[in-house]
Amino acid sequence: MKFTVFQVSRKGGRQLNEDRMGYSYTRSSGILLLADGMGGHPEGEVAAQLALQAISALYQKEATPKLADVPAFLTAAVMAAHRQIIKYAIEKGMLDTPRTTVVAAVVQDGSAYWVHCGDSRLYLVREGQLVVRTRDHSYMEQPPQGHSPSRSAERLNRNILYTCLGSPTKPVFDISGPTPLQHGDKILLCSDGLWGSLDDADIVRQLSARAVGMAVPDLVESALQRAGATSDNVTVIAMDWETPDEFETTNGSVSTDQMQEGAFASTVQSGGLEAGEDELDDAAIERSIAEINDAIRRTAAKRR
Amino acid sequence: MSKVKPAPLPPDTIIGGYRIIRKVAAGGFGLVYLALDPEGLQVAVKEYLPSSLATREAGELAPTVPAEKLSLYRLGLKSFFEEGRALAQISHPSVVSVMNFFRENETVYMVMNYLEGAALQDFIITARDQKQQKVFRESTIRSLFDEILRGLRIVHQHKMLHLDIKPANIFITDDNKSVLIDFGAAREVLSKEGNFIRPMYTPGFAAPEMYRRDSSMGPWTDIYAIGACIYACMQGYPPNEAPQRVEKDRIATALTRLRGVYSDNLIEVVEWCMALDPLSRPQSVFSLQKELSREGERRYTKLSVAEKVRLQFDTMVSDTKKSSKSVASSVAKPK
Repeated sequence: MKFTVFQVSRKGGRQLNEDRMGYSYTRSSGILLLADGMGGHPEGEVAAQLALQAISALYQKEATPKLADVPAFLTAAVMAAHRQIIKYAIEKGMLDTPRTTVVAAVVQDGSAYWVHCGDSRLYLVREGQLVVRTRDHSYMEQPPQGHSPSRSAERLNRNILYTCLGSPTKPVFDISGPTPLQHGDKILLCSDGLWGSLDDADIVRQLSARAVGMAVPDLVESALQRAGATSDNVTVIAMDWETPDEFETTNGSVSTDQMQEGAFASTVQSGGLEAGEDELDDAAIERSIAEINDAIRRTAAKRR
Repeated sequence: MSKVKPAPLPPDTIIGGYRIIRKVAAGGFGLVYLALDPEGLQVAVKEYLPSSLATREAGELAPTVPAEKLSLYRLGLKSFFEEGRALAQISHPSVVSVMNFFRENETVYMVMNYLEGAALQDFIITARDQKQQKVFRESTIRSLFDEILRGLRIVHQHKMLHLDIKPANIFITDDNKSVLIDFGAAREVLSKEGNFIRPMYTPGFAAPEMYRRDSSMGPWTDIYAIGACIYACMQGYPPNEAPQRVEKDRIATALTRLRGVYSDNLIEVVEWCMALDPLSRPQSVFSLQKELSREGERRYTKLSVAEKVRLQFDTMVSDTKKSSKSVASSVAKPK
């Protein structure tokens, strides 16, 4: 397998970044993950982080190196994430549960599969055209069965979701695939911060123009600028799918062919829920260095 | 097309007040230099510069990181910090010590005490090439690992695991001290559920639970690696990889051949440390230390004639298997 992934998350104008993203891969399978912790309920960022960890943990366990049954895995993974959040809320004796959306895409055997719950989206783009995108579980995009379209305000508000992970009612989610991939296909996962300020045509056009490493940062930047000072968190993880080497390795792609049979790589961090940012910013680097030097001094003092 | 390695900083470059003398090592994470501190003392400076993610032209100071690799580059920085954090808390003669940590040239540097000597791996290779019955003397093995275990015990006391113990990461100094180096894989052990960062391992020295993804690691994981290192000191070669052992375990046979050469007790210690089941190994460094430092006369059980014959027969069988395999593949090729 050969692909290039780029991911970036920006806080926008919000106090907190409640979006989480990450990816993992083995020699012959890969998974992209994105979750958007929900406001209006406590600890959205925890819900998002737990969802990613739960799915990634199950993926690590079952992708050896391939998933035997991808749709079954996606179902199990989403339910595991949901249960993990509920469990967390129970253990902490919370009055209300943390909640999150989730979207996950698996690529293996040259095909893509995906699952989503809520309004975090997947876009599949081929040769400048949108092949498919997920339909949000909002009253506007996809009214639930038995819910007659009323003229109520909630029907018009695209931000009101009728399902998510972590809610006391069982989550509703959609699984798609297998969709065979072609060389140059692009898969993009994003939080509503992106599609809330850019329309589908913009997203497809910008994504198609260049490699994900170049297109995604600009895409996110333009969403932030469009939304202005009150922008929501904007998070995108995208992949350029490449068919194995016709030419020399292009810059920056991940080729899994050289990986050992049991090898596994992941950007999803476990443990510390507060460590949500995917990468260290300058302040975090300075902080880490200061902490280490502090520990060195303390250890040296003890020795004396 | 091979990857261009990042150029090392030239001699006499001053970084963070340290003057570079020369590059002494390079690995996937970056480069190590011998340098002098402001007082003129020798130090080792480790520079974070992963060759797969960053480049540096000769004459440049700052590395260049392509935009699409910036995320991974920053992520890698986390494990570099992890190593710094681990070492900063420990002060023990058998564990490499970190003296300073600083940021310059848009990357990060770790200053450590400079060790003169060579890795255990180099000693093993030199010793085995002499083709003697024993690679190392038993007393050498015992005192070497006694020191390493003292250091490892402190590491475990700080709730950390080394997770990449191997002869290349055991350094023997010119004044005959053994020091555990390269804590790049070290992780704080968290008992939290869902903690599962365990991406890298060295075949032969990695315990089976490092390959299995569902089980938890512990002191016994480092202890497996210690057993494998002792094995390498006896045999001159690393043991088979854990997954191979699960299929067919040749370790017991290989150790049987060493009977009479090394004491029964040492052979049993290796078998104990390298048990495939983590629960069957020594559960703490302390219990291993106790067994390894046990005084008293060493017993050597020589192989009986019948056992020798059986071993020879095994060798013949496995040799014919190998050769029949290679014949089969050479037959298959012309097609």
